[in-house]
Amino acid sequence: MSPIWGSMAQYEMVHWSWAIAVYLFLAGLSSGSIMVALLVKWNRHERSNSSIWDAMIKSGAVVAPLSILLGLLLLVVDLGRPLSFYWLLIRYNITSVMSLGVLFLLLYTPIVIVFMLLVFERSVMKYTFLAPLVALIQAVKELHSYAKIIEYFLFVTALCISSYTGFLLSALYAIPLWNSPILPILFITSSISLGIAVNILTGLLFFKSTINEESIKYLLVLDLRVILTELPLLALLFIGMFYAGAESANAAKAALSQGFWAGLFWFGVIGVGLCLPLLTVMIALKSHVYRISYVVINSMVVIGGVLILRYYIVYAGQIYLG
Amino acid sequence: MGKAYRLLYDENACIGCQACSVACRVEHGVPEDFFRLQVRMELKGVFPRLGMSYERMACVMCEDAPCVSVCPTFASFQDKDGLVHIDERVCITCKYCILACPYHARFINPLKNVVEKCDFCYESRVSKALLPVCVSICPTEALMFGDMNEHDSLVYETSHKEALIFPKAHLKTKPKVAFLPKRKGMKS
Repeated sequence: MSPIWGSMAQYEMVHWSWAIAVYLFLAGLSSGSIMVALLVKWNRHERSNSSIWDAMIKSGAVVAPLSILLGLLLLVVDLGRPLSFYWLLIRYNITSVMSLGVLFLLLYTPIVIVFMLLVFERSVMKYTFLAPLVALIQAVKELHSYAKIIEYFLFVTALCISSYTGFLLSALYAIPLWNSPILPILFITSSISLGIAVNILTGLLFFKSTINEESIKYLLVLDLRVILTELPLLALLFIGMFYAGAESANAAKAALSQGFWAGLFWFGVIGVGLCLPLLTVMIALKSHVYRISYVVINSMVVIGGVLILRYYIVYAGQIYLG
Repeated sequence: MGKAYRLLYDENACIGCQACSVACRVEHGVPEDFFRLQVRMELKGVFPRLGMSYERMACVMCEDAPCVSVCPTFASFQDKDGLVHIDERVCITCKYCILACPYHARFINPLKNVVEKCDFCYESRVSKALLPVCVSICPTEALMFGDMNEHDSLVYETSHKEALIFPKAHLKTKPKVAFLPKRKGMKS
């Protein structure tokens, strides 16, 4: 029964739900996989013939555009008035992280799509209905002397995408769990980890012929370092909350100890998402042999862990207000 | 000169009758189970020093409003007098402002599917020099409304006589709503 002043439901509502959590995951996946692809391209790509791409670059080139487009679709559908989303493209409030995000996405999305077309040029040429794209590819190829600069620019926009999803939440001081400068850094690191996992998995599934063991090993070492950074970042997030006044401290305590979401944090985020991959990566690297089963398991748990992390942050933030 | 509106809520005079809440609902056609305004009550203290504690939940009209700075389409905006309004035409119902509001003053009107909140009855009353409906209906004069630039106004005089509490003042949002805290009865 409601109290005399009426129903409290409106005050207890979770306004940003699974769609936002999945969008944050997909945006992290997109930016992470393209950053990882570029890192491999710059550091591990020894072949001079640009048409033979490393499997990691191919994976990034497919995963990045598809995941960001899916994410954007989800974002628009989740609006209370999906058909009015065009206002986001007409009006820009530069103090709103959401508007900044729209600007970053407008820069980032076309570039990753073009990147995909370049990497899969041969496949595009095979289909006649894709003919108009061939002209686009040729036009872009004219810019080959600026390739490196464009790649750097793409890397920076990818960084903007993965960090803006963190700033989007951390800009709100009404929500203690979100209102932390650690959050964007945490999102960047976890998106790189996610990019590594998904690229390796996609590479193994679809581009096995171009897999380079050396680049997989390079990525696994990188993943180990990234995960080892994520753990202290998560600790810092909560330690920061404990020192940010009673409201934040209470929210942190509740988020770590109360109900389903606290359980999900310890089991899902810490256990499955960070400790398990740490274990598999260490075993995989220690054995010095390229064991496909370890690598696949590692990728799966990382993907699950990052998705759980986004879910946890989105929901626990709105539920535990201190 | 612009107006410096202020709404005062005297917790000593409030009896928790909910007339303000009902009047608000009628004035703005707020759908059932949704609220622009709630007055919550709690019995506090240790016998025999007991007392009712009241809390007004509604938009406090921040001068530095987080809902305005986070809105991507300027649907949440401030007018010339610093009152925060919602432009329903450009609201995309992204719910960012609802999350940004530290006072939990906003909700989605399920009939119109846009974000809604207390607007001090600006359109229907205050712009026509009438009092907000909650203020005019209050049977114990627990609510006061007026312009702080007018030095003979009730809000100006009361503000300079009483100790005011601005809700969540530490957030530096500079609300236009202030409370006159309970003087008697319970220890909190």
